[in-house]
Amino acid sequence: MPPIIEGPPEAGEARPPLRTRLGWFIALWIAGAISVAAAAYTLRALIL
Amino acid sequence: MDFDALLLARLQFAFTVGFHIIFPSFTIGLASYLAVLEGLWLATGREHFKNLYLFWVKIFALSFGMGVVSGVVMSYQFGTNWSVFSAQAGSVIGPLLAYEVLTAFFLEASFLGVMLFGWKRVGPGLHFFSTCMVAIGTLMSAFWILAANSWMQTPAGFTFAPDGTMVATDFWEVVFNPSQPSRFAHMVLAAYLTTAMVVAGASAYTLLKGRALTEGRTALRMAILMMAIVAPLQVLVGHESGLVAHAHQPAKIAAMEGWWEDRQSQPSILFAWPDEAAETNHFELAAPDTSSFLFDTPPTETLRGLKSFPEEDRPPVAIVFWSFRVMVGIGLIMVALGLWGAFVWATGRLDGASLYFRALVLAGPSGFIAVLAGWIAAEVGRQPYVVYGVLRTADAVSPVAAGTVAASLLFFLIVYAVVFTAGALYILRLMAAGPESDEPAPRSKQPPGTPLGAALKEA
Repeated sequence: MPPIIEGPPEAGEARPPLRTRLGWFIALWIAGAISVAAAAYTLRALIL
Repeated sequence: MDFDALLLARLQFAFTVGFHIIFPSFTIGLASYLAVLEGLWLATGREHFKNLYLFWVKIFALSFGMGVVSGVVMSYQFGTNWSVFSAQAGSVIGPLLAYEVLTAFFLEASFLGVMLFGWKRVGPGLHFFSTCMVAIGTLMSAFWILAANSWMQTPAGFTFAPDGTMVATDFWEVVFNPSQPSRFAHMVLAAYLTTAMVVAGASAYTLLKGRALTEGRTALRMAILMMAIVAPLQVLVGHESGLVAHAHQPAKIAAMEGWWEDRQSQPSILFAWPDEAAETNHFELAAPDTSSFLFDTPPTETLRGLKSFPEEDRPPVAIVFWSFRVMVGIGLIMVALGLWGAFVWATGRLDGASLYFRALVLAGPSGFIAVLAGWIAAEVGRQPYVVYGVLRTADAVSPVAAGTVAASLLFFLIVYAVVFTAGALYILRLMAAGPESDEPAPRSKQPPGTPLGAALKEA
């Protein structure tokens, strides 16, 4: 099983095209915000 | 002691904030450390910087997660247990907390996703940008939280509306209230020192075990550099913060210093047992007549002792007095460890300094203790007010039943004990394992640099 937290691409490893990289950047950015929002709203539902 | 809703609400906030502060005081420094490591890896291409990054980023992710959960829970208490405070001061303090949440959400939490899972997917440039955004986010979060907390210590830029609530008259005066700059600097330096102590302790441990030597030596040198520069600087910034408190919160300073009488020149008390009932100190060990020098006051100025404040306006003395000394004592140990490390490094004996490594392992958690002690001194010293001189803590609590607060406190105690113990143990296990290294496995359990270790390495 590959590690969850991945390191940088190895030397000589092919890099995805710019469009794909930017797509991942936006997707991961939104996923990060949604994850924390979900945790916050879950805790609020439990507490309030 | 009467366990009413007020005391239980205070205990609950103290317990949750005590847990919470451990994590940001670590992640603020660790995020900046990760940005430096990644920047160095990009600039030099040396693998050990990458290995260190991948090691500490796991610990950062765990600490960040626990920091978010404990922080979110804490902020809800403003509504549940401190609704009168929220209603009275909400329009002043609310925007500051909202800005903190915005920066925490849109810089820290969101870019963390890219930082953890995106290195191969987004490429090195965007990944480094994300790490920097997380580091900036942690600092901006600290800025807004310290603005809110400092406003509670030294309120400014507000007035009372006809309905008795507080409203801001000058937003920037609220943000940059008298104690905010020095307290923000003090907190950020404390966070950097806390991280440096943990990194130094973990690196010293792996070096003692003879693992990941290149990574351990690099991380140890970075931590020593941080300690040697920041620890003495922290003493100066802490002193500046004390001067501000002296000007705006004289009762807090009197409690921290253990002064009971008004005098033109007060002693600097090293040790004492404050007796609040008898309004005196027992077993006092003090340097007499040094306060004018320390507080930069003219010799003719009278420095107020606790007796000049009505009893109902005094903070609890013993806890403030002792927590302040714990913080200062640990700070001085950090200065000594920084200078010791700089000395053995400068004289070329660092890699064999096993006694120093053991001292660093022992001192690894010292930053957390100092931060907790400092916060106890600051927050208990603010009592009996929630907004200093304006709103008493007793008047700020929600009209809730003691049983309700006790039940939620019990719930927090159980959940925190399980979740945070598991998290802390896992972090300790990760730290003990040390970073992945490209080096061959160690052949000796001797510390590097010892004669036997060196002989085995050469063999």
